[in-house]
Amino acid sequence: MSIRPPTLREKRRYILIRIEPAGAPVDQKDLYYVISDAITSLWGDLMAAVIMAAVVASQDEYVVVRCRRGTERELLTALSTITSCRDTRIALRIVAASGTIETLRDRIRRVKAPDPEYPPYPECSFDKKPYLIYQCNGQKIDVIEKGFKNTNRLFLTREDLEEL
Amino acid sequence: MKITDACVYPYPLGDSSVRRMALEAKELGFDSIVAADTPSSEFSGIDVFSGIIIQQTAARDIASRIKRERNHRAVVSVQAGNIGFNRAVIGLKGVHIIRGIQSADKTAFDHVTAKMAADNQVAIDLDMSPLISGRGITRQRAIQRYRDILVLERRFEFPLTISSHAHSILEMRAVRDIVGICSSIDMEITDIKMAFSGVDTVTSPPANAVKVI
Repeated sequence: MSIRPPTLREKRRYILIRIEPAGAPVDQKDLYYVISDAITSLWGDLMAAVIMAAVVASQDEYVVVRCRRGTERELLTALSTITSCRDTRIALRIVAASGTIETLRDRIRRVKAPDPEYPPYPECSFDKKPYLIYQCNGQKIDVIEKGFKNTNRLFLTREDLEEL
Repeated sequence: MKITDACVYPYPLGDSSVRRMALEAKELGFDSIVAADTPSSEFSGIDVFSGIIIQQTAARDIASRIKRERNHRAVVSVQAGNIGFNRAVIGLKGVHIIRGIQSADKTAFDHVTAKMAADNQVAIDLDMSPLISGRGITRQRAIQRYRDILVLERRFEFPLTISSHAHSILEMRAVRDIVGICSSIDMEITDIKMAFSGVDTVTSPPANAVKVI
């Protein structure tokens, strides 16, 4: 179809989403399929066609999802039902909604950089087991058990580590 | 009105410490959480209530367990069973919440049980996890059961609670998300607000029926 003049185009909304945990390996295309599945599963094909969701941009842990104006509520509800992407456990946190992608890009730029106090992979101990610090952001510290067998992430705080 | 997540499972039952869950709950818009097998405390301005979940136990054993835990000021929840069990449990003093109605027998909760729950101020928990992570028939059954409970709730006005049953911060959802999910199963916004403050309702001492002047 040819591009319509601006007054005849459908209005869109852009949703800024943060992927948790930080550093999760999520591909933009995989995420699109997961979102599409979630919408179809919750609302059905009919509503999925109305929402017209698409992943239009991604930057580090942030993703911009597009939808038709007026269907934000349905999209956000469907996004909250996403629990994994290609066997990687994730959670999508809604940060902001806007009429333009540029506003959301500004928002990403304003977000604080990760805490440099804890560089990745220094050792720590929790519950009498050695762990490697994987991610640190303010009070939040993600650790992975040392060794190659168990790579499950634990979600702790600074106080949890200082207490020991 | 306190917005409470009526059940989360911190470490060692889950993969997130209770402090981290409290921190996450604060960011997600909650005022308090009920943490299973965790002492009551306050982290990051979030009240953490101790939660005791009793499951697969006979009704008479539950009574003795509640007596033992009475001094701990914990939120006591019992996993739903068949209709006889549920009626017996609702009649017990000290039980705050009945959980897992969506996975119990189809006839496990009827109008008589609903009336008893209203009279005894025992809340029925709406577990969000089958709606969030469930797909297909699992989710459909949960929706059917919750809609059925909501019909009885509008008639008898027993308390409701909402819980994420999160074992990880990744399974916790924002208040806004939960409102969206509950609205999609035809739950009124006033009912959602009441359900968020359901833990407060069932744990606060009952008001005197007669005011002595």
